[in-house]
Amino acid sequence: MKRTVSQFLVAASVAGLLLLAAVRVESARRPRYGGTLRVEMQAAVSSLDPADSSAEPSVSAAKEKLISLVFDRLIRLDANGHPQPALATSWDHDSDYKHWKFHLRQNVRFQDGVALTQDVVAQILATANPNWKITAAGYGIVIESGSPIPDLLSQLASSHDSIVRHAPDGSLLGTGPFRIAEWQPGRRAVFTAFDDNWEGRPYLDSINVQMGRSPRDQMIDLQVGKADLVEVPPDQARRAAESGARVWTSQLVELLAVDFVLGRPAAEDARLREALARSIDRGALANFVLQKGGEPAGSLLPQSLSGYAFLFPAAPDTARARDLFQQISPVPPPLVLGYDSSDPLERAVAERIAVNARDTGIIVTPKALTKEAANADAWLQRLRIDWSSPRNALARIEDAVGPPKAVLPALGSSPEEIYTNERAIVDTFRLIPLVHLSEVYGLSAQVRNWAPVSAAAGGDLRLADVWLGLPSGDAR
Amino acid sequence: MSFRAKILVIVALAIVVAVGVVAVGVTVATRRAFEQQDARHTEAFVTQFQRDFDHRGEEVVHRVQGIADAEATLRMAIDLGRPQSDVSIYVSDARGLAASHQLDFLELVGNDGAIISSAQWPARFGYKEDWLTQPQDWAARGAFLKREDLPDGPALALLAVSVIRVGDRNLYIVGGERLGKEFLASLVLPEGMRALLYRNLDLTFSVQNLADASGPVAQAERFQPLISQEQSQPRRLSAMVHWTRDPASAETFHALPLLGRQGELLGVLLVGSSRADLVGLERAIRWLAIAVAGSGILLGLLLSWWATARVTRPVRRLAEGAREVAAGNWSARVEVHSRDDIGALARAFNQMTEQLAEQRERLLQAERVAAWREVARRLAHELKNPLFPLQITVENLRRAREQRPEQFDEVFRESTATLLAELDNLKTIIGRFSDFAKMPPPELRPVNVNEIVRGVVKLFEAQFSAVGRPQITPELYLAESLPVIQADASLLHRAVENLVLNAMDAMPAGGSLTLRTAQRDGAVRLEVSDSGSGLTREECDRLFTPYYTTKQHGTGLGLAIVQSVVSDHGGTIAVESEFGVGTTFRIELPGHPPPRPGAPAKSEPGGEA
Repeated sequence: MKRTVSQFLVAASVAGLLLLAAVRVESARRPRYGGTLRVEMQAAVSSLDPADSSAEPSVSAAKEKLISLVFDRLIRLDANGHPQPALATSWDHDSDYKHWKFHLRQNVRFQDGVALTQDVVAQILATANPNWKITAAGYGIVIESGSPIPDLLSQLASSHDSIVRHAPDGSLLGTGPFRIAEWQPGRRAVFTAFDDNWEGRPYLDSINVQMGRSPRDQMIDLQVGKADLVEVPPDQARRAAESGARVWTSQLVELLAVDFVLGRPAAEDARLREALARSIDRGALANFVLQKGGEPAGSLLPQSLSGYAFLFPAAPDTARARDLFQQISPVPPPLVLGYDSSDPLERAVAERIAVNARDTGIIVTPKALTKEAANADAWLQRLRIDWSSPRNALARIEDAVGPPKAVLPALGSSPEEIYTNERAIVDTFRLIPLVHLSEVYGLSAQVRNWAPVSAAAGGDLRLADVWLGLPSGDAR
Repeated sequence: MSFRAKILVIVALAIVVAVGVVAVGVTVATRRAFEQQDARHTEAFVTQFQRDFDHRGEEVVHRVQGIADAEATLRMAIDLGRPQSDVSIYVSDARGLAASHQLDFLELVGNDGAIISSAQWPARFGYKEDWLTQPQDWAARGAFLKREDLPDGPALALLAVSVIRVGDRNLYIVGGERLGKEFLASLVLPEGMRALLYRNLDLTFSVQNLADASGPVAQAERFQPLISQEQSQPRRLSAMVHWTRDPASAETFHALPLLGRQGELLGVLLVGSSRADLVGLERAIRWLAIAVAGSGILLGLLLSWWATARVTRPVRRLAEGAREVAAGNWSARVEVHSRDDIGALARAFNQMTEQLAEQRERLLQAERVAAWREVARRLAHELKNPLFPLQITVENLRRAREQRPEQFDEVFRESTATLLAELDNLKTIIGRFSDFAKMPPPELRPVNVNEIVRGVVKLFEAQFSAVGRPQITPELYLAESLPVIQADASLLHRAVENLVLNAMDAMPAGGSLTLRTAQRDGAVRLEVSDSGSGLTREECDRLFTPYYTTKQHGTGLGLAIVQSVVSDHGGTIAVESEFGVGTTFRIELPGHPPPRPGAPAKSEPGGEA
């Protein structure tokens, strides 16, 4: 009898525990409104105005992430780079890609309650794109251009064409899920939920962004529970994961490359540029310096984007590099390789390049410089990869690097044509690809429904669907 | 130099030499003592350095072993010992380990010698350190010096190696300290000494490789000879380095070679000791010596002045007495007070002057007798010639008066004529002697010697070309700008006349008579030359002796008169003669004759007294 009672009690306890666990699991899976997401980033963004494009690439990337919280665009790109409806619900165009019609979403309001109308959208886009003729129509807007705009959808999906309205007090207003509650340029930003967002109120009450935080400080804050979302340098990702941190890695969204400065004596000799390109051990950079947080890059576009990157060898050819360097007479002066003084990763890469170059005979002097200092022969550049298409990615890299440009094929060109163009660019050794990098974020355990950053959308942070699983004290 | 001055100089020299010898001796002894002390200090420092160096090496070995013994390192070695192990995760480990163990250098090296992680050069992972994989008992090796390549150039490192063996695979832990200015700063040096380190990292001497505790060394090129010697043959050497011209700035450097694992020269420790103290001491001694010598010289001069005054006073009196005797005062005497050598000398001097006076008196008497004898001989000779005709004439008169009275008148006329002629001759002879005896003092007037010469030649013109006499050709070479001199024209005329007469007598067969005047330093030179037969040396020597003549009927007074006139004018006369060629008399007359002793000075218009 005793045994029966005790067996019953044990069974009842187990059943109770299982029931409690099931309830807790269900509770953890159910979205929860409220809370403040604490975000930290290294870049110091000074302005959220999409029209202000004076920031450096690393700052621009951070800025685009914040812009996507506040401002919507007509088009949104999905993870595969395909255009999806946003403020525009549908569109069509003529056969020449010169005349485009966009149907606007109805009942959309700005964060001050003002309704989004065709006229407002036409005015905003016309200001941002003076070469286009934009008119409001009953159903939406019409965009006309004298020349074909085959990639108009990709352009409208960029932060440049965000729908931004300037309030009388100078503040920026959008239709996005969050509004700007506090803005301290370069230091701190607070975004609060926009209840009347056309996609519905976001789960989070607010987002608190701390800018100018070093990667080390961010990781410490994440580990001690002072931050929910931090940036993790690619070379720290593996160690962070091994230490138990919750780490999310994006697809390859950046190209780290050596960009020669035209006009500098040390950069003018193509043999020197080629010798340096062939001396670099990209595998060691990816595996050791980046701790496998990137892939060796012999091409500008990653294999997963172009499909032909394997045709660009990434392995070093020290013998050939040495032969090329020995052909140069007189011996060129030391080549100054500039890197961002605030980026330890770039410094490590630059020093490794100097070591590889030393085997060839090339003297490379890594130097931490600001972009204003024009005394570097080459720079380490981190170039954003546009995943909307290989052509757009190539174009964006060229835009970032500057002249001379290759003649790009039209949209819809064959992979062979794009390969030919990329080959032409790479073979000048004006831009030496080193590694393709992923973006890595560290997440606290409370972050739920984390929607990966869309590389195709230029690295937008999709925080509207994120919610916090457990309350974490007064800081929320 | 006077005797007193000599004494003073000798005393001063003696003091200077004595003080100098003492000063040099003290200086040499001081320098030797200083150098011995310096050598002891250096040796002590080198010993201390060696001890400190060994201690540091042990520290390095201890720290590297500490890393090898750490649990994390052991786990790393075990992980790396697995097949297909991923070494990339350890690429950043060395830096943290080096910092935590206070090491400047740390490399984790895999079994194949490839660098897994490097603290000093993080970007150098994957490169081989082949020297590590060579057979070597690293545990017994201890710390050693090694050249270490760094991004900013090579460095000198004190390294130690520890090996963790897992299965058949090794993990090498290579750690160490940089030997640079921080190392030098940690050395404790006696005052006045400093340590420099030359890192022998290049094939040739490089100034950048020399540093002291504060950094690069100025004028490092001065160490090149010393370093080059070390590079050619490492050994302990010494050399002095002069930084400036000031000897006090010099330093003595002792070079201690620092060898690497294979015995190669990797560095040179230079221990320098300043010579400022030594030079300062030497200078103090030198100045003291100079002060002592100066004081000694001054005191010595005073003492020697006093002493020599006592000694030299009688000597000076003796000298004054001698000068008086030389001036003709034969009665000069020296007072004698002392009984020493100087007193004996003074007494001898007085005795000498007395004897000299007596001998002079006797000599004068003898000369007077001889002169009178010569005069008597001359007079007898001169008077004997006319007296003999007088005697013959008078005897002829007597004989004619006795034997041929009828012819007496005629004989009387002839004899009286002869007597008168001979008596004139006697008168002439007596007149010459009288003239010589009565040579008047010159009456000085402005005189042009050329005018006198021309006047004499004009006087004798008729005789130069007299009928029945061989022709004598006068040749005058008279200086146009001859100065006017103060002289007695008549006496000079007489002297020149005598010389011309003498020349005419020397040329019985005719010839040329040359008279030449010239200016010579304000004086006038007159030369009278003949082309006669010339004179012998003995004749020249006696030519101006009164009454000496080479002629048959000469009185021997002509040239004596000439010499007397020239001498009275303060001039000189000399004769040059070559036998068979001719004779030249050369007279030098001053522009202003010196006043004659006892003669009253005369003032002339435009002249001088």
